[in-house]
Amino acid sequence: MQDIIPGDARIIEGITPCCTESDAIHHSIDTYGNAFHWFRLDTPRLLTQAAAVLHTAGARLAMVTAYNRRQLSEPMQEICYHFEAKGTVYNLTVTLNGQWPTVPSITPLFANADWHEREMMELYGIQVTDHPNPRRLFLDEELDAGILNEAVPLSIMMNGACTTDLWERILKDKEKRP
Amino acid sequence: MSSTFTMPLGPVHVALEEPVYFNLTVEGETVRRVDLTSGHVHRGMEAMATQRNLIMNTTLTERVCSLCSNSHSFTYCMSVENVLGIVIPERARYLRVLAEEIKRVASHLFNTAIQAHIIGFKSLFMHVMEVREMMQDVKETVYGNRMNLASNCIGGVKCDVDRKLLGYIRDMVAKMEPAVDEIREIYAANSMVLARTKGMGLLPRADALRLGVVGPVARGSGIHIDVRKDSPYAAYPELEFESIVADGCDIHARTMVRLNEIFESFKLIRQCCDRVPDGPVTAPMRQIRTAEACARTEAPRGEVFYYIRTNGTDMPARLKWRVPSYMNWEALGVMMRDCKVADVALITNSIDPCVSCTER
Repeated sequence: MQDIIPGDARIIEGITPCCTESDAIHHSIDTYGNAFHWFRLDTPRLLTQAAAVLHTAGARLAMVTAYNRRQLSEPMQEICYHFEAKGTVYNLTVTLNGQWPTVPSITPLFANADWHEREMMELYGIQVTDHPNPRRLFLDEELDAGILNEAVPLSIMMNGACTTDLWERILKDKEKRP
Repeated sequence: MSSTFTMPLGPVHVALEEPVYFNLTVEGETVRRVDLTSGHVHRGMEAMATQRNLIMNTTLTERVCSLCSNSHSFTYCMSVENVLGIVIPERARYLRVLAEEIKRVASHLFNTAIQAHIIGFKSLFMHVMEVREMMQDVKETVYGNRMNLASNCIGGVKCDVDRKLLGYIRDMVAKMEPAVDEIREIYAANSMVLARTKGMGLLPRADALRLGVVGPVARGSGIHIDVRKDSPYAAYPELEFESIVADGCDIHARTMVRLNEIFESFKLIRQCCDRVPDGPVTAPMRQIRTAEACARTEAPRGEVFYYIRTNGTDMPARLKWRVPSYMNWEALGVMMRDCKVADVALITNSIDPCVSCTER
């Protein structure tokens, strides 16, 4: 028996032109009959267009996930935007390019994207262009963006705990500052 | 000379057990602008999750939040079940709802009690906490723990609740119901409570929609949003209950939504005790492939959203979650517009904030 997966035709038809590659769109359903629609956008620039379709249809932004497919310490490679409309979840995935991952901001459309995008900037080192309020969310201004995503070798961590090297370096850096 | 000045409040705060820092721009007694600084209790839990296997993560996610602890392991298990294609047994679906609603009663009563504490109504605070203690006893008796129930596991539930315990839960609910009804009456009519909550901390419906708030904060502003109704999961499609919505948009409306929801939770607990079918409580885990899935549930504070990515190993490639408080903090900027400095704590409490789960 073929299950019917519920969804808003306006949203699905509106986003489809942004996903031209093969296997870019798939639909799934959980055991309770709740639908999930997955779209892989051709380029990060199309995000604004796809988000506008969802905004017009009255969808709500639920979450944004940045992740990579390889190692924890490498630059983030993909971002998945999760939207909800009338009990159905619509996921937009964008593939980031290489060393300078950049996406356009959707905060002008969805006010609640503000925190998610600020978190992406500081915790994962992703550039969000045209963000209306690019202040720090959790990390202090003095810390580098994406620093928590870096893998620190255990030997360097132990240096801080059992030798004075780290403190001497901090003191030296302090002297250098004007 | 400017007539406004900045007033720091926090990070260690009289009203909250958790650290959050408010930078208030005040003009005399009136708040003109709110800036929020958080990040004091970031624990790096999402990175930790990718270094543990799927089963260990059930324990980890239960520790994201204290009052919503069960909702986190519940949603996490649902996301794993979605990604692996596990169908949980019918008995487990009912037992999951049972634990979830027991936690909801305790969580809502806690928030209501703290409101009385902030108002300075100490006797009411003590009274509500005493009534809540009955639910704590239920948790301890049935699950062995007062906060983290450790009831959920991938594929079902860990604790099978026998007939005798179901009878005990039913008796305790019968005992609690009149006591909570009395409490609801006090919050609805007491002039001291109303003077501090009615018409305060306004969040108009349009702002609530714009900011995408969830849970009782959204429902107190007239928005019909409840994952249990919008995309039913576990045993909710088969159970009868109402989604409580109020349109007062103020602190009072949010409190009444929570108190009325407790009665819906009692209804759900009773139905679960009566209708839970016999049978197994767990389903076996399947082969782990490379896939992605989402899951969402309604926690006491609102929608919890989980995303999981598996890579063929027993450790998730990515596990991300968004807690309800994360969506609700920005609403404080609207609620505190032109309020008095003395009301800041009370308004903050009305979103039922959780700092540790926001920062993870």
